[in-house]
Amino acid sequence: MLLFLIRRLADGLLTMAALLTLTFFVMRLAPGGPFSSNRKISPTIRANVEAAYNLDQPLVAQYLRYVRGVLQFDFGPSFRYRDYTVADILLNGLPFSLTIGLWAALVATVTGVTLGILGALKRNSLLDYSTGTIAVIGIAIPIFVLAPLMQVYFAVMLRWFPVGGWNDGWRSLVLPVVALALPNIAYISRLTRNSMIETMRENYVRTARAKGIGRGRVIRDHALTGAILPVVAYLGPATAAIITGSIVIETIFALPGIGRHFVDAALNRDYPLVMGITILYGFVLITFNIGADILRGWLDPRVRHD
Amino acid sequence: MTDSLLSVRDLSVTFRLPEGEVTAVDRLGFDVAPGEVLGIVGESGSGKSQILFSLMGLLAPNGRASGQALFAGQDLLAMTDTELDRVRGVSMAMIFQDPMTSLNPYKRVGDQLAEGLVVHKGLSWRAARAEAVRMLDRVRIPDAASRARRYPHEFSGGMRQRVMIAMALLVNPRLLLADEPTTALDVTIQSQIIDILAELARDMGTSIVFVTHDLGVVARLCDRVIVLYGGRIMEEAPADILFNAPRHPYAKGLLDTTPRIAAPLTRRLDIIPGTPRSGGAMLPGCPFAPRCASRIAACEAVQPPLIGIGPAHRTACHLIGEAP
Repeated sequence: MLLFLIRRLADGLLTMAALLTLTFFVMRLAPGGPFSSNRKISPTIRANVEAAYNLDQPLVAQYLRYVRGVLQFDFGPSFRYRDYTVADILLNGLPFSLTIGLWAALVATVTGVTLGILGALKRNSLLDYSTGTIAVIGIAIPIFVLAPLMQVYFAVMLRWFPVGGWNDGWRSLVLPVVALALPNIAYISRLTRNSMIETMRENYVRTARAKGIGRGRVIRDHALTGAILPVVAYLGPATAAIITGSIVIETIFALPGIGRHFVDAALNRDYPLVMGITILYGFVLITFNIGADILRGWLDPRVRHD
Repeated sequence: MTDSLLSVRDLSVTFRLPEGEVTAVDRLGFDVAPGEVLGIVGESGSGKSQILFSLMGLLAPNGRASGQALFAGQDLLAMTDTELDRVRGVSMAMIFQDPMTSLNPYKRVGDQLAEGLVVHKGLSWRAARAEAVRMLDRVRIPDAASRARRYPHEFSGGMRQRVMIAMALLVNPRLLLADEPTTALDVTIQSQIIDILAELARDMGTSIVFVTHDLGVVARLCDRVIVLYGGRIMEEAPADILFNAPRHPYAKGLLDTTPRIAAPLTRRLDIIPGTPRSGGAMLPGCPFAPRCASRIAACEAVQPPLIGIGPAHRTACHLIGEAP
């Protein structure tokens, strides 16, 4: 298990390094730059500005300087928001995105897995059909349709929760969390259901039934592990995507998270911010993938002995 | 027979399929005496495995068993799952055809064995694991104590089947149902498995119902044999009688298809012409009639009854008369 852990961590670090290098050079290779916009600037001013941001140095020197910065959580100044560093911008938005995201991931996992298992055990029952229908709706209807509908009903008509913003304690959380969790509940419940049905047909589950240990134990001690493994594999990348913020959710509910920077930064050619966002997302993604792998290794001896 | 451990009467197993209802086992009756080893022989699709599954309550969700199966006086077919759980894994255990997939890949082998003792006998995990190691030792798993802490993927096929046998016999059942336990193994391993099974069953006084298509295995292990075709009994006889003087044309054919060491090398292996019947509606007559070389008109029209033709010897064929 220890060897497996070390190997996975080393893989993660390598991937991080590759991501950092690739993003850096691809960004610089893309035509145009942050100061090549509409207004003509005199060569002297341009040279001064580029010197201020170290853009006049050789690319490799810039790269090394950047890597040194990243190791100290310094992503440099933002080109767009002159008074802020990238680290400031990320740290300001992250708490909002993380709070919404972690809750949504938790709600999606618990609800999705529970509904999936119940659906599989009571196949073709009313519960199975209704969760199935909800799942299809949840996957098919885009969030930018569902979220405003939720606002109209629960915020404007029933007045249970605020329409948006962050000023109402836990109430502010409910609608964005539910909206963010919903498609994932749908997907996870389908995934769990199908995986559980498949596992219940496994020969080793039949062996367990033959041992007469009772249906509860057969499901809990034998079927559940196999059924949950594909879900765990899905949860790694899915959680990373959920907690790094959703531009749609943050826009609709007027939340100052980091989701919107994904798009804004690229449009503004704000190199340091794009790099910062990419590295943050990459870091979270790799971390959660390693987490999912460790969980899989813990559940499945064949994975950790590999 | 009142001294039977297992007494099966009118056992039918049917499956609901999109194309309609299919009968896999058709009104079967047989008995197993305490300590006896009964072989059930038949080709693929003859319904032999389904007999065992129906007794254990392990039929597929679209399958249904009817009739009666008295085990120690209780009807297994009338029991709910919860009631069955007081019998299976306690006084009746089963080993399966494919040892590679029949053990839980996520649990330590020793824990899988110990589980039954913890649930049924109320042993502590520690005591149950110790019992498990002793049993693994008896099925000749080398270094059983450390092996018990390993996972199934660290065992070979033959070892896994020995683990399955240990798991089944650990609870000291009165009846062991074996569903082609050697089919997936290579020949030398098959032989070891049969030896272990025979030895343990003898020592522990366990009755066995051994389902197989391998007549060599039957000859070595079984006291009595049932030859099954199309879900019906063709012939039932003590093993030595069946092997030396089979009466039913299908039983004869089956024995003729078995290669013999003593036979000259130039002799071609006999075959039974045609293909085994697979599902579909039951024929009005004998299921083997379409492939039978000595069939008469009555064979396809009327189901021959199973009649006694000697001590413990029964067959179902129009060509064979009742014993005088």
